[in-house]
Amino acid sequence: MLLQIIINGILKGGLYALMALGMSLIWGVMNIINIAHGAFIMLGAYCTYWFFSLVGLDPFVSLFISIIFMFIIGYGIQRYLINFVIRATIFITLILAFGIEIFINNLALVMWTADVRKVQVPYGASNFSIGSLVTIPYVRLSAFLIALIIAGIFYFILNKTRLGRSIRATSQDLDAARLVGVDVAKTYAVTFGLGVGAAGAAGTLWAILFPINPMMGGILTLKSFVVVIIGGLGSMFGPIIGGLTLGVVEALGSNWFGTTYENFIGFTILVLVLIFLPKGILGKSE
Amino acid sequence: MAQKGTATKGVILGILIIAGIAIPFFSGNFIIRFLTNTLMFAVLASAWNIIGGYTGYASFGNVVFLGIGAYVSAVLMEKEGVSLWLALPASGIGASLFAVLIGMPVLRLKGHYFAIATLGVAEAMKALVNNLDITEGNSGIYLPVMNLPVKEQYIFFYFMMMGVLAMTLVVTYIMLKKKLGYGLIAIREDEEAAGSLGVNTTLFKITSFALSGFFSGLAGSLYAFQQGFIKPESVFDVGITVKMIVMAVLGGIGSVMGPLLGAMSIEVISEILTNYFLVAHTLFFGAIVILAIVFTPKGIMDIISGRKKFGLNYLLQNIRDHRI
Amino acid sequence: MVILEGKNITKTFGGLTAVSKVNFALNKGEILGLIGPNGAGKTTIVNMISGTYHPTTGQVIFKGINITNYKPYKIGRIGISRTYQIVKPFPGMTVRENVSVGAMFGAQGKNLNSKQSIEKAEEILEFTGLQDMADKRADDLNVASRKRLEIAKALAMGPEVILFDEVMAGLNFVEIDNAVELIQKIRDSGVSILVIEHVMRAIKGVSDRIFVLHHGAKIADGTPDEVLNDDKVIKAYLGRRYKELVQ
Repeated sequence: MLLQIIINGILKGGLYALMALGMSLIWGVMNIINIAHGAFIMLGAYCTYWFFSLVGLDPFVSLFISIIFMFIIGYGIQRYLINFVIRATIFITLILAFGIEIFINNLALVMWTADVRKVQVPYGASNFSIGSLVTIPYVRLSAFLIALIIAGIFYFILNKTRLGRSIRATSQDLDAARLVGVDVAKTYAVTFGLGVGAAGAAGTLWAILFPINPMMGGILTLKSFVVVIIGGLGSMFGPIIGGLTLGVVEALGSNWFGTTYENFIGFTILVLVLIFLPKGILGKSE
Repeated sequence: MAQKGTATKGVILGILIIAGIAIPFFSGNFIIRFLTNTLMFAVLASAWNIIGGYTGYASFGNVVFLGIGAYVSAVLMEKEGVSLWLALPASGIGASLFAVLIGMPVLRLKGHYFAIATLGVAEAMKALVNNLDITEGNSGIYLPVMNLPVKEQYIFFYFMMMGVLAMTLVVTYIMLKKKLGYGLIAIREDEEAAGSLGVNTTLFKITSFALSGFFSGLAGSLYAFQQGFIKPESVFDVGITVKMIVMAVLGGIGSVMGPLLGAMSIEVISEILTNYFLVAHTLFFGAIVILAIVFTPKGIMDIISGRKKFGLNYLLQNIRDHRI
Repeated sequence: MVILEGKNITKTFGGLTAVSKVNFALNKGEILGLIGPNGAGKTTIVNMISGTYHPTTGQVIFKGINITNYKPYKIGRIGISRTYQIVKPFPGMTVRENVSVGAMFGAQGKNLNSKQSIEKAEEILEFTGLQDMADKRADDLNVASRKRLEIAKALAMGPEVILFDEVMAGLNFVEIDNAVELIQKIRDSGVSILVIEHVMRAIKGVSDRIFVLHHGAKIADGTPDEVLNDDKVIKAYLGRRYKELVQ
């Protein structure tokens, strides 16, 4: 029983990790706290929903479309909007992100109404069991694995490619990067695009597992914060650790104190981590 | 020249005050309600300005003080039969005690980390209040009804909220002339230098946070009593925090009247949009926030103060200053 | 009479020893110079006196009181002020407001209310020659004025000891002479001063005594003539050509 709870926590944690991956990349590289993060997850979810309802495209296929589509949106928003305020104080970028969030959420509301939608895939409920101890739903396992894969891809991009070197250079010293010829505007835009693309992927998986509506983003943004803080900035595997931790702690806490305490536990952990372990579990000094 | 500027400001202030006092007697209930709501946001934005604008610690969780103030009053008035005149200060004091308690660990953090920590605190409190018996958890709590006709009630709350706003602004204004104000701004500008100049930064930051909490708590008490019914989602809503920050920034942080101007502008724009675009008004609101923050990040006060000439060049210069 | 002393002060950061068993003494009314190559540990010493760092071992004694573990604001309040090598003005405040902060919270601050502190700040502005710039924003000032402002802020605190950390860096010859004059004026008003400098001409002209740090340890201590002719100091810092140039 306890084992099942922990496994559930781990699997949900994988989804949390994927959600937070994008936010961590953007925060770590550009020092932007993307308040609109949840809105992008929502867009990814709806992208999958519409491909599924209108064309019958399987979510694991439209995952790629989600990612590419959201990358383009993210790139555009960074390049042609956020780049204009990026050297201002943190309130300014925050308020801009908030304005973007309001805009996207309400655009979705206007276009798609407040009705709750669900992507009903035929294999949604199927699972496999390990003995009589634990049952693991396939979809949740896939979400977990996809989270690891995308984290791995980000790690590869950041550490083994030229693009990654530009991103890391820009995050360490904007002016120095510029001096050595990095196109910083483009680099920031690509980074934001990657982060939002990851959010899109998370949205796709969320849509398979849970019902969606235009306002779903808010709480997801908050949970992503918790995951990023617990795991620590500076490493692509921070969100993985953070997500798993949050997932397991929420699962255990819900079991002991009741599900209504789930959020309380998560946010209390956030505050405690900030006070006692501000760099998070895997965090590096900035 | 300086004399003329002060005289003009004095006249404008005088007009605002007289209009503020007279308006409720000539307006319908809807307008009074609207103005009371605006005044409440002005209080919240001005209170935020103390910790966020003057001290430089951008709290993303100030709504927690509104919520605590609301619930302290709700519980005291509904369950213990306490009158508003006791519940109101109790709310203010309760909220500021919470600020001191939570401020001690959290004010050691800087920048983004402080912001996220305060956000976490607010969300945690929302979740906690949602689960406690004494606050009736998720169902919400009713407050006693006032024994006055409707119109008189509206006018009562209008003037009460105006009183709280006046208190907030006067305290802020006086603070700026005294050591506390100088100390807080020094902390904002360069905390390490402030320390070596003899400023007890820990004490001052906590005081700033406590003041911010106190006034927000008072607003929460009035809000709860006027609404008659409160739920955790409404009084601990992160959207309220963001709104008060937008108002403070767009009005002009680091100025006494800025947040009030910001509150008035945002609420009026919001109302106009709702009237013209029933369906998509929030959409346009989001667009306006985006445009305003990109082109006028220093806020209205910067434009009014006349330091730089307003015009297309001013707008473009703001972008040039902050763009990548 | 010794007003400030360091006893066997050592500071290690992880595996690195920045300062090693340094003893120094500042006498009341004197100007003590501190010189040495970059990385010798000079600013670290100042940081340990001002409370930014605490010594790993050793003590800092001010007027007989052990202030080794005091917080920075407390050290400012008991009568020790400092300037920063890379100046730290309050950019959004005017020059007058900057100096007022020092007056309000420094050693003499408890005797003054806010209005009196601002008046004291005006006096300090006159003393340091900044009165014409009183209403200018601190970030509108040029380098020399910023250094002057840095000094004024420290002075406004009403200290008995001031620590000057390379106030001459980046100044031209005229500005250096003005700064030397100001430092002497400050000493004449009763303040004891510790000066860190690289500009030899300035330090020679202003110090009563000098002590020299190299790789975190004190290698010489005495009058300017003694120290600047000391072979160890020449080898470590001044170079043989200095002696020839100065002869």
